Amino acid sequence: MTTIEVPALARVEGEGGLFIKLENGQAVEIRLDIYEPPRFFEGFLRGRFLQEVPDITARICGICPVAYQMSSAFALEKALGIEIFPQARALRRLMYCGEHIESHALHIYMLQAPDLLGKQSALELAAVAPDIVKNALRLKKIGNEILKAIGGRSVHPVNVCVGGFYRWPDAAALKALLPDLEWGLDAAMDSVKWAITLPYPDLEIDYEFVSLHHADEYAVIEGDVWSSKGNKVSIADYETRYIEEHVKHSNALHGHTMDGNTYLVGPLARLNLNHEQLSPAAQKALKDSGIKLPLKNPYKSLIARAIELVQFYEEAIRLVEAYKPEGPAHVELELKAGEGAGATEAPRGLLYHRYKIDENGLVQFARITPPTAQNLPRIEADLFALAPQIVKLPEEEATLTAEQLVRAYDPCISCATHFLKLKVEENRE
Amino acid sequence: MKIAVIGIGQSLRGDDGAGLEAVRQWKENFPETASRPEVRAEASELPGLALMDLIQENDAVILVDAVRSSAKAGTIHHIEPGDLSTFTSDSQSAHGWGVAETIQLARQLNPALKNHPIKLIGIEAGQMAMGSGLSKPVQNAMPLACCAIQTEIEKLL
Repeated sequence: MTTIEVPALARVEGEGGLFIKLENGQAVEIRLDIYEPPRFFEGFLRGRFLQEVPDITARICGICPVAYQMSSAFALEKALGIEIFPQARALRRLMYCGEHIESHALHIYMLQAPDLLGKQSALELAAVAPDIVKNALRLKKIGNEILKAIGGRSVHPVNVCVGGFYRWPDAAALKALLPDLEWGLDAAMDSVKWAITLPYPDLEIDYEFVSLHHADEYAVIEGDVWSSKGNKVSIADYETRYIEEHVKHSNALHGHTMDGNTYLVGPLARLNLNHEQLSPAAQKALKDSGIKLPLKNPYKSLIARAIELVQFYEEAIRLVEAYKPEGPAHVELELKAGEGAGATEAPRGLLYHRYKIDENGLVQFARITPPTAQNLPRIEADLFALAPQIVKLPEEEATLTAEQLVRAYDPCISCATHFLKLKVEENRE
Repeated sequence: MKIAVIGIGQSLRGDDGAGLEAVRQWKENFPETASRPEVRAEASELPGLALMDLIQENDAVILVDAVRSSAKAGTIHHIEPGDLSTFTSDSQSAHGWGVAETIQLARQLNPALKNHPIKLIGIEAGQMAMGSGLSKPVQNAMPLACCAIQTEIEKLL
């Protein structure tokens, strides 16, 4: 029996380890051990006033705080039975564009592309292709600038509240972003052209893709929960089909469908289910790429992210141009007891929240289902599918191949320090 | 000349917060320097890639951060950017962008920054467990760390 431990996977978010046990050339056990302590957000939200929830839950993630603000705000608005003003809804989409842009640019260029190009890190990539990395950093920064213009700062922005926004952001500050956004749209189109030239490992998985779907727009903030297996439920009924359960080796819960199947959320799922709703430039980028949908290769989620980068840049331009703040930025709240669910598409996939509140607006119950919890069992299943290829490789290469697969998912285990160790145990008896 | 003094670290991880605390105490003990218009002091828990902007926006940067080598806890290191590879982090910040990597990336992408004074004052960490508060040796090293910051600034002013 051989045990190999390699300190490995940087460029993921959170603390976890990977354990692979091989016997006679087959994987008999694969676990993503998530040993980072649970954070108990759902527990300490109890008793807090509902208006605190968006900013508390935003602290769950430094890369996608807006997603937490959005899902919680929509859920609590549902509980109160209110609808936000149309301009506030448009502004939420714009803010979300900023988050998708900064998260996707980071993942495409700084986290995953170095893997595909055989580089140890973006530093090595910068040495051979400085212009690509410079453009990547600019693409990312523009996303952060959107967040800053709307939410006061580029990381952990504020301003989203239950009912809309605390105040309208300055129109001039948003319009000043237009030249950068126009540049970003061109650079995003180039990103797709570049993305399809990258070498991707061969791996096709028959996923059940799950994402929000909205008939009139590329679903990000509202819609129904669609599955590629044909199932459609409303956000309010999400928990009738998708559940989470505790598994021994993970402090993150594992999501699966009611009938026990794994499923995939994230950019691949969104692109496969919602490509008809893509913006014109994103449609063109998809068509010109020659990519045939559905995309089933997990590594190629990079291409899906690149196409979404076009989507979110183009949409950001449209929303900034149309931005016209008038009247109050938020609906006045009338407190009452209630329950509501909200789901939005975070960069890594569907993020579901449900809250029960009492007549004083205090949270009685909270449920938060992040995308990575839904994808964790799917990552393990993918590694099983990859195992026959891994066992034939030298140890170092085997480790790297497994890491690259995990990294392709852009898992967000948490926002603290992180370290993933790969442990391969081989039994050759 | 615009000079930024940036304390880096995570105050909820024991001695990882040493850089933040050193900058805080330096501001308290050297108010005349800290309040000069060309000097800007910042506390940054995890700057990540945003550190590139801080480097580019200022003419000189003094970074104060916890480091780990084989030295005794509380040891003050004066690190030149050329020596940074010795301290390349094991991805202790969001998505693996540590201070060393970010400075290297900034210099790689913008060769003009090669002559940009960047000083790193490293404070050898003892324990980095969950929870706030510095270990005794690191607490005791704070006056030395403040003097190190002040000395570097005086060289630049």
